Amino acid sequence: MAAEIINEISEFLQKGRAKNVKVLVEEALAQGIDPKEILNDGLLAGMMVIGGKFKRNEVFVPEVLVAARAMTAGISILEPKLVEIGNEPIGKVVIGTVKGDLHDIGKNLVAMMLKGAGFEVIDAGTDVDADTFINKAEEIGADAICMSALLTTTMPYMKTVIDTLKERGLRDKYIVMIGGAPVNDTFAEQIGADFYTADATSAAEAAKAAVLARK
Amino acid sequence: MKQVYLIDGLKAQLNMDLVLHAIDCMPDNPVYEEFVDEYADIHEELLSMAEPAGILGFGELTDKTATDEYVAGTKVIFAVTSVGDKIKQYSTRAFAEGDYVRGMLADAIADRALFSLEGRMLEKLKSVCGEHGVGILKRLEAPHDIPMEVQREAWESLSLKETLGIDISCGYMFDPVKTSCQVFVISEDADIFKAQHDCRKCPNIDCRYRNIPDDVQGIEITVKKGNEIKKLLYKAGQSVMDLLIENSYYISAVCGGKGRCGKCKVRVLKGVAPVTAEDEKFFNKEELGVGWRLSCLLYPTEDLTVSFELGDESEFVAVSEYEPGDVTVPKERTEFSVVADSCDENAPELKKENKGIADEDKEYHIAIDIGTTTIAMQLLGKTSGDIKHTITTVNSQRKYGADVITRIKASVDGRKPELKECIFKDLKEGIQALLKATGVEMSKVACIAIAGNTTMIHLLMGYDCDSLGIYPFTPVNIDIITGSMEALLGISGDAKVVILPGISTYVGGDIVSGLYACGFDKTEEIKLLVDLGTNGEMALGNEDKLLVTSTAAGPAFEGGNIEWGMGSVAGAICSVELDGAIAKCHTILDKEPVGICGTGVVEAIAELLREDILDDTGLLADEYFDDGFELAKTSDGRDIVLTQKDIRELQLAKSAIRAGIETLLIKYGVSKEQVSKVYLAGGFGYKLNTGKAVAIGMLPKEFADKTQAIGNSSLAGAVKYLREAEDGKALEKIVLISEEISLSTDKDFNEFYMEHMMF
Repeated sequence: MAAEIINEISEFLQKGRAKNVKVLVEEALAQGIDPKEILNDGLLAGMMVIGGKFKRNEVFVPEVLVAARAMTAGISILEPKLVEIGNEPIGKVVIGTVKGDLHDIGKNLVAMMLKGAGFEVIDAGTDVDADTFINKAEEIGADAICMSALLTTTMPYMKTVIDTLKERGLRDKYIVMIGGAPVNDTFAEQIGADFYTADATSAAEAAKAAVLARK
Repeated sequence: MKQVYLIDGLKAQLNMDLVLHAIDCMPDNPVYEEFVDEYADIHEELLSMAEPAGILGFGELTDKTATDEYVAGTKVIFAVTSVGDKIKQYSTRAFAEGDYVRGMLADAIADRALFSLEGRMLEKLKSVCGEHGVGILKRLEAPHDIPMEVQREAWESLSLKETLGIDISCGYMFDPVKTSCQVFVISEDADIFKAQHDCRKCPNIDCRYRNIPDDVQGIEITVKKGNEIKKLLYKAGQSVMDLLIENSYYISAVCGGKGRCGKCKVRVLKGVAPVTAEDEKFFNKEELGVGWRLSCLLYPTEDLTVSFELGDESEFVAVSEYEPGDVTVPKERTEFSVVADSCDENAPELKKENKGIADEDKEYHIAIDIGTTTIAMQLLGKTSGDIKHTITTVNSQRKYGADVITRIKASVDGRKPELKECIFKDLKEGIQALLKATGVEMSKVACIAIAGNTTMIHLLMGYDCDSLGIYPFTPVNIDIITGSMEALLGISGDAKVVILPGISTYVGGDIVSGLYACGFDKTEEIKLLVDLGTNGEMALGNEDKLLVTSTAAGPAFEGGNIEWGMGSVAGAICSVELDGAIAKCHTILDKEPVGICGTGVVEAIAELLREDILDDTGLLADEYFDDGFELAKTSDGRDIVLTQKDIRELQLAKSAIRAGIETLLIKYGVSKEQVSKVYLAGGFGYKLNTGKAVAIGMLPKEFADKTQAIGNSSLAGAVKYLREAEDGKALEKIVLISEEISLSTDKDFNEFYMEHMMF
């Protein structure tokens, strides 16, 4: 019975049916199902499926957006319960577009998929300087820092952030990930980042794997 | 001269289709309706948040922003437009709240609103140019055409902070982010105004807003072939390949114009042609330097002069000849010509013959074979049964892909009407040419019989091709079809039209027609018919039972996937003799060598084997392994070679054919000796030297003395049908006694396939 309703939540989420997801999450809670199970096996499992399909070009951005919106709807019901039982996210991430760069759509999609993978995401916004990235990460006890840059004029700033981390003796404390049109694996290696990923789903998968490997 | 002009009269506008397209939300998307509803809910509010503003003014490039083309000091006009920050703020907020749908929509709406200011900005630019008596030579956009720093120079030059309240980041991005900046290079010539963004030359090819404009007119492409020079008017949105095909030049496009096969190369002699990533794959630096480009990806932005080595379609040697065992028809050699008065050497004689017979025939028939590459048609007398005239033409659907798979894909992708239009046009023109050449009136044509493979008939009938391309490959309709000219061909006329039946998706009406031409419906002896092409169709049996199948030989026989490969066009090497390592080659129509056609590849390999330069595993001798074996040189001194990879391609193709034959024999339970006759159908088979086909193991050696190349047996069958004035019963019988076997999962086939990979 529990498995069935959880499965239904995942299915409705994949179709982007926010209302159905909301109703079913409420129902599942009423049945006394563990909120963690609803989150992990229902909502997040559904996002993983849709994220995988997106990566394989089986669905496009619109389907992912409606699914993620349904996830938000489900989590909004679930959140008070999760706080109550002291559920911990799989990890915490600070994300932002680097100083000088005001592009945000790519960064927003990565943040969306990170949430879908079970992370607590602190979005520092755009035009973020090194101190802001690092102070936020320190403040919340983040596991990873994710940086985005869309311009060749702003991508060097990613190195500034990493160098500042080194200066403050914090480099090894965080997983540093980068993304954006002009950057690639080679660049990640050059500036001393841990990962480059090419799309939002891969970013969330890589972050999850890296965080779990550290724990 | 530091003058700035505020752009007045700016009004942001939205277009839902463009907004949804920008986020990849097409009408066939399962959540499309949801986005339409959301758009309806928010677009008015968001549009009211737009704060359109714009300014333009004069400036110049500096050391930091000079490009290869435009030096420091170049006079320019900067133009900046913006829709303010409110829509974007809405988007950011929505994302933060987890409403990803509205967040994304709002961002796309902001972009669209910004782009909608372009028209008014250009108007203002034009009037300012008029005032100053200058024109616009080029539009530059950062960071593609010019460094990002130019935005800083524009910001300073136009005092954007003071005039529009726009800030700039240390990465030279404007804040508000939905602001755009253009740099227009000034020309002394007031009549020039090349100010529009040209998506065709924009390197951002994945851009969701990419739009090939309709109003880029007047570009002229000059085509030089030998001494012949022709000027063609380029239409926006076409590639140079499209333009050449439209004008009846023969351009090989095995991949259907996707930049993957490298066959459509042209050389740009005059004018600037951008180099694509695909060009870099196929040409080295030197070749790019002298102008070699793939024409399928060449979208000109200015007048160009191009040349290419391939023959045009008037030199495409299509086969309309046929000589099946029991059908005797006057053999007639006709090179391709849409214009009926062929300059063929036999033509005068033919015409005389026509006149003589014309009197005894009161009515006529037309037989048509629709091939994937070529179409062949013959007009014959109803009473005499004599062939009066033959026309062959290239199937103009080629521009949508060279083989049936790419055609099916084009049809499924929404090109169904265009494909039907192409074949209608080809048939109409062909029929008219036949009538004109013979002086026969349309009203005197009694019957038109058409044979073609299943895909060609589906495209002609306008059937959905969806099921042809996916398992279990079910055709919509392959029965015999009869109807009026109007209904089936869209041409007015009283002739009855008959489309010959097929057996399956893979074994179509062209094969049934060929089997009928060879008399498979009336023979007790076991015979084999093999149609050599991309899909090698074959049939084995007699009047009681036929086993049919098709095997994926790939495009190698048509020159596809062969480095120097090409179709049967003038200048293609078609026969090869070796004396040691010295090659003596013949080309089609004895023209300067330009490449190798399928028969040339087979002959070259047979000769390489004979001279022990190639071992029986298909490995070239060491000295040829890296650069290939040289067969000839082109007129500009490049080596035409056969590479190790080419040989591997042919091994795959020939073993597919051989394994198909062996499998049919086993399933039918007959030995090679029991087969009394082997017919090789198709243009490739017709020109193939049977001895060499045996030498490379494509055919078993037992077949060496009983193999007959019969040419276009599909056309022959259509002619026979018209001559014998039957009701189609014989054709239906062939369909009825045929049993199709599938090879892809057949264990015997797979074993034979591996075994016959060797020579």
